[in-house]
Amino acid sequence: MGLTRKYWKGIEELKETPEFIKHKEQEFPSQQTIEQFLADDNLAETSTARRDFLKFLGFSVAAATLAACEAPVTKAVPYVVKPENVTPGMPTWYASTYYDGNSYASILVKTREGRPIFIKGNHEFGFTKGGTNPQIVASVLGLYDSERLTGPKANKKDASLSSVDKEISSAIKSAKKVTLFSSTVISPSLNRAITEMATALNGEGGSKFEHIQYDAVSYSAMREANNKNFGAPIIPGYDFSKAKTIVSLDADFLSSWLLPTEFAVQYGQTRIPGDNMSKHFQFESVMTVTGSNADYRGMAKPSELAGILAYLIKGLGGKSGVDASVPSGSKLAADEALKALKKSGKDSLVVCGSNNVGLQILTNKLNNQLKAYGNTIDLTNTIELFKGDDTKVQKLVKDVISGKGPDVLLMYGVNPVYTLPNGEEFGKALSNITTVSFASHADETASLCKYICPDHHALEGWNDYKAKANQYAVAQPTIRPLHNTVSALESLLVWNGKAQRGGKDSAVAYDYIAATFAATITSGDFAFTTHNSCSDLVVVPSALSYSDASASKFPKGGDLEVVFYQKAGIGIGAHANNPWLQELPDPITKVTWDNYITMNPVTMEKDGYVTTYDQEHGLNTATVTVNGKSVTLPVYPMPGQAIGTIGIALGYGRGANGEKIGKAAYQTKEYGGHDLGENGKPKAIGANVFGFVSTANGTYEYANVAKISKAEGTYPIAATQIHHTVMGRHSIVRETTLDIFNNRDKEAYNPAHMLEKLNKEGHHEERPVSEFDLWDAHPVEKIGHRWGMTIDLSSCIGCGTCLVACQVENNVPVVGKDEVRRGREMHWLRIDRYFSTEEEAAIGTKKDKDNFSYDKAEHAAENPKVVHMPMLCHHCNHAPCETVCPVAATTHSNEGLNQMAYNRCIGTRYCANNCPYKVRRFNWFNYPSYKKFVEVNPAQDDLGRMVLNPDVTVRTRGVMEKCSLCVQRIQATKLVAKKEARVVADGEFATACSDACPTNAIVVGDWNDIKSNIRKSSEDKRAYQALEEVGVKPNIWYKVKVRNEENNDLNKLQVAEAKVEHKKAHH
Amino acid sequence: MQKEAAIREPLILGHKTYHDITEDVCRPIEDKAPKMWYILFGIALVIGLYGVGAICYLLGTGIGVWGLNKTIGWAWDITNFVWWVGIGHAGTLISAVLLLFRQKWRMAINRSAEAMTIFAVFMAGTFPLIHMGRLWVGYWTLPLPNQFGSLWVNFNSPLLWDVFAISTYLSVSLVFWYIGLIPDFATIRDRAKKPVAKKMYSILSFGWSGRAKHWNRFELVSLVLAGLATPLVFSVHSIVSFDFATSVIPGWHTTIFPPYFVAGAVFSGFAMVQTLLLIMRKAMGLEAYIHTKHVEYMNIVIMVTGSIVGTAYITELFISWYSGVEYEAYAFLNRATGPYWWAYWSMMTCNVISPQLMWIRKLRRSLLFTFFISIVVNIGMWFERYVIIVTSLHRDYLPSAWSMHFPSHIDIAVYIGTIGLFFVFFLLFARFFPVLALNEVKTILKGSGQSYKESPDYHEHH
Repeated sequence: MGLTRKYWKGIEELKETPEFIKHKEQEFPSQQTIEQFLADDNLAETSTARRDFLKFLGFSVAAATLAACEAPVTKAVPYVVKPENVTPGMPTWYASTYYDGNSYASILVKTREGRPIFIKGNHEFGFTKGGTNPQIVASVLGLYDSERLTGPKANKKDASLSSVDKEISSAIKSAKKVTLFSSTVISPSLNRAITEMATALNGEGGSKFEHIQYDAVSYSAMREANNKNFGAPIIPGYDFSKAKTIVSLDADFLSSWLLPTEFAVQYGQTRIPGDNMSKHFQFESVMTVTGSNADYRGMAKPSELAGILAYLIKGLGGKSGVDASVPSGSKLAADEALKALKKSGKDSLVVCGSNNVGLQILTNKLNNQLKAYGNTIDLTNTIELFKGDDTKVQKLVKDVISGKGPDVLLMYGVNPVYTLPNGEEFGKALSNITTVSFASHADETASLCKYICPDHHALEGWNDYKAKANQYAVAQPTIRPLHNTVSALESLLVWNGKAQRGGKDSAVAYDYIAATFAATITSGDFAFTTHNSCSDLVVVPSALSYSDASASKFPKGGDLEVVFYQKAGIGIGAHANNPWLQELPDPITKVTWDNYITMNPVTMEKDGYVTTYDQEHGLNTATVTVNGKSVTLPVYPMPGQAIGTIGIALGYGRGANGEKIGKAAYQTKEYGGHDLGENGKPKAIGANVFGFVSTANGTYEYANVAKISKAEGTYPIAATQIHHTVMGRHSIVRETTLDIFNNRDKEAYNPAHMLEKLNKEGHHEERPVSEFDLWDAHPVEKIGHRWGMTIDLSSCIGCGTCLVACQVENNVPVVGKDEVRRGREMHWLRIDRYFSTEEEAAIGTKKDKDNFSYDKAEHAAENPKVVHMPMLCHHCNHAPCETVCPVAATTHSNEGLNQMAYNRCIGTRYCANNCPYKVRRFNWFNYPSYKKFVEVNPAQDDLGRMVLNPDVTVRTRGVMEKCSLCVQRIQATKLVAKKEARVVADGEFATACSDACPTNAIVVGDWNDIKSNIRKSSEDKRAYQALEEVGVKPNIWYKVKVRNEENNDLNKLQVAEAKVEHKKAHH
Repeated sequence: MQKEAAIREPLILGHKTYHDITEDVCRPIEDKAPKMWYILFGIALVIGLYGVGAICYLLGTGIGVWGLNKTIGWAWDITNFVWWVGIGHAGTLISAVLLLFRQKWRMAINRSAEAMTIFAVFMAGTFPLIHMGRLWVGYWTLPLPNQFGSLWVNFNSPLLWDVFAISTYLSVSLVFWYIGLIPDFATIRDRAKKPVAKKMYSILSFGWSGRAKHWNRFELVSLVLAGLATPLVFSVHSIVSFDFATSVIPGWHTTIFPPYFVAGAVFSGFAMVQTLLLIMRKAMGLEAYIHTKHVEYMNIVIMVTGSIVGTAYITELFISWYSGVEYEAYAFLNRATGPYWWAYWSMMTCNVISPQLMWIRKLRRSLLFTFFISIVVNIGMWFERYVIIVTSLHRDYLPSAWSMHFPSHIDIAVYIGTIGLFFVFFLLFARFFPVLALNEVKTILKGSGQSYKESPDYHEHH
């Protein structure tokens, strides 16, 4: 049978139409050439008429335009071969050690994809126990400074390393006298290399080579005094954690004196209210971080400190040979101190920050009287920092200036042209000799040197340190050197002919340090030590014993004494180019980007200076004259400044001749660009006052007698806080005394806010505000996590480390002075500082509720008490910001976080207005690209951008941002736990701020975990929520500030009021 | 035709005929514009363009060009917004509420008052737009279907309610105004000689033929729209006040706000009407239609609403003390005695004291005095919003965040610019649109016209 079925593809085929037959063989329609197509006369009659064409054209243009609005494409190059230790997205942590000649700490460095991006304290290893300071945390940015020298220089021109090496080696060889002028070298390896060089150059008994150590802020007097009292120029170890009574005279041991990274941690341990709480007395002129934390603070001129010491010595039954007169501003504190010292005896510690030998001898005498040696003061485990000898330094400087100096001067870790009182003369004399600098920048000194052999950044090279006698610490590189810099240790070895250059991946320093280690710790494992960053050393117990020495030559007094101090951020000015530190508000004044003259507002009002300032109204300026030199600066009203004294911070006025020390080190104009001075060079920030340092008593003393005269004009001040008192608002700050805390109920000092409501019987009843709720509760209780935080106002010392850590962690933009002045700093975490007033019994507690004067409450007391209150997003469970956002850009997570969706934000700022804590920050400009921020914002620099945390979005213009409680860290912690199939452990998650806090004032964790520290801490009887009565139900608690003092006013209020309340409750 | 008591002052002065009314209203449109118009228009245009330039700079650079800061997130922007919205209240109140209350004197003023309303709402609407950090995604405030997943607007937010309130108000006002214009456009169309003008006005008049059916529909639509617009008069400013009232900021968080804001809005709206009309009646020769009696009526409204506002101020002060809430009490103490005391006392003087002078008949019938007070009231009402917004924000809960607000020159430029633009629109309106509802005015000529009231015919019937 034939094929009966017929298959067809279409009706045309079935019916075999002529059309179909015609095209049957042709699978595709005929191909027309373009010429044929265009030649077609019918073309003009096609359906696309002119108008349609215009429509198409219009649409295409519009579509193309819209498509062009997309953000520019930036390319990321992936790893082709994955490096062994780098997993994209996973951080690698390195244990290391930080030392810059001034600060020291054991640290952990976080690297991402090979870039170090974060530094935090090492809590597990090293005697600093996690303590850091703002400068250490911020120092990571220095690595990415685009003005860092990229290689050796000779005569201000780039030079090859080999030629520089050759020239320097031969200069050293042919010189008559070679001096190494360095900051204190605590590196055992570097010291060994220096000794080797000395041996090689001096031979037997020669004196061709000399090593002179110089500290910009010197502690020479301490060593000299100890030499007189103990026969050895040591600085003993101090243990503040053992001290029941701490008396400090001008020593800012929590922020700048000696070893604050260790002391702040120890101090924090003694500030937990209870039976072991220490009593802290401070006598000082400028209010320092330490002074602001004192239980009693006396105001005294530098010249009056001897009298106070003598008074205490006399009170304890000793003889000092000095007139025991106490200034009126210190009378109460001195009397109380005497009482406390008598009570605590050997559990006392007296420290003095003055670099005056006489004062240090009196301090030693007092400590000896108290039997503090061997108890709070450790003569065995000495502090090896600050070995500079002022006498030797002064001789060297004199020799150089007079032309009798060495032929070759090697300068390591010092910037004498900037830090010497006669730096300018010293700088001029440098041209006469062969000078070699190891500086990272062509700074004030290095720019005048013949050769610059820039050392690695601290995060690029190997180093070892011995900051205290019993600990050997290692610093390891966390990144391959970015530039052609060379290790200073290697350079010394090469110039001494002991080593050959090893190129970019040189192992010279490593091998040498490993050898030093092997020689020091015979049984040690260097790799293991490197892993932990440190290893203990055995020390022989000290055989030193105290013998009396006579004290004389105390600081000279005058009608007006000026004191030079260090600010938490800028210190001695080594990090002046670090915009994070420049923008870190001073812990006391809250001023950024400037130094100024501090003066007590009482004096200022008398002398006709303005005492208030805001965005548009600056402060009066004044000229301070010391020994014929003068400087003009704004006068800042600093309550607590001793009458008859003024203070000026060191570390400012860096790069006054336009040296290239970093873009952020100079003043900028309103619309960006450096502000140029009359000499065409960028204007320095603030003024350098190292020139005013006194040398009258042989040592460098950071105080002097001065004259001041009011100058013309006002100067704009960029401060993050322009109102300084809490106006008696008890729901913000709560304070009590140790006595009340120990002996009274919570109700006395931390009462809940009560509201009236009707009970079942229809009677009015007072109930705590926490029981009232306008809203349905967010389902965060008892379900999953609920992240929370407590901040202890008793242990917070206001140092500012958390603030910088937050800024680094969260890519918080730097906005520069002009924007800070306008009240637009971007810090997610700020530290509110409140001064007490005459209207308050304690900060936040009105003396007399009925006759409270708001006017008077705006003015701080003459010598006020201080509360530091870190303020950040409270992650309210009934967040007022969330309800008002029209587009739901800020919402609540089911873990209790108030989260910001930057992409969704349209920038109405309603949320910020409605935030009772005013913690939301708006992107007023495009900080990562707008011209105004080129100099200050690291995100605008190709190199500086490397420091950004890839886990955190860089925010664009027009969106709101705020603290996220480090949500990226929460997610990372949860992921780790999830991979290991377990719940998140308590203490596993830490925010950048809680991690950085040296005193553990900040506790974070999962509040739903009922055994967690945060839960316990939040249920503590000191815990309260700021502005509880607003009803926003925050996830942040504060803990009442407890001061170890007698306070009759407060006693009356808190004890008496509690009684009344008690009675009420019984009714 | 309604008759009214002869002792009532006539609403149309002089011996006007129907034709006179047509002539009086149409003449300015048909004649060449006077030199003064060009001068004023030029000035307004320059100022307006300056404002537009400032807005462009703002949009190109960021909100930072204003004087705002971390504490004060709104200042001149929202002050101006509320001020303009407030001004935009009089028009609808006059045309809708007074229509429902059969107040015939409104007929002389409702057209320009409504025009003013619409232009004021335009100006007001500018500010919420440009105050956004990211204007280009501002459309996210509309509940549009989207591809962002289940992302929706936040119906809890008063700002969202604002979006609905303002856009509804604007569209209803616009329609209402336009409906009223149709018969008048037809009159101009019929008189127009130039072909372009004739074409334009014939388009604008929607083919109005003046048939009884048209008039019937016209009346009905007007009544329906008046019914719709009346609640809007009260809702718009109530909702604007919710922006503040629903917040937690002392000085904002106030239940008294909705009625207080509405009264204030009517207060400032009428003042603006006075300012504009007193000039316009002179410039366009409309003294016969808008005269002392009209001004007096409006002054009475100003007096009444001003008294409500004054009462609200004093109530706020009392409650802040009586509540015993520390922050509330301080917010108001700070307003009166803090760094912005001058703004507070300017507000009090302008808004509380000045309207009380209207109790004196001689003053409220004085055109010069009225003009002066109308300016004073608008200054005062601007300060009211500034005081509410800035003094509440600048010192709220935490003293550490307390700050001050200083306007930048861009703040000032944008504000002045909107005033310029407003006058550009208003001058164009005065030049090309019938500024008086001429067909409506004709309906009262027989009842309230002077010549009819004086005619013996009129007295016979009564």
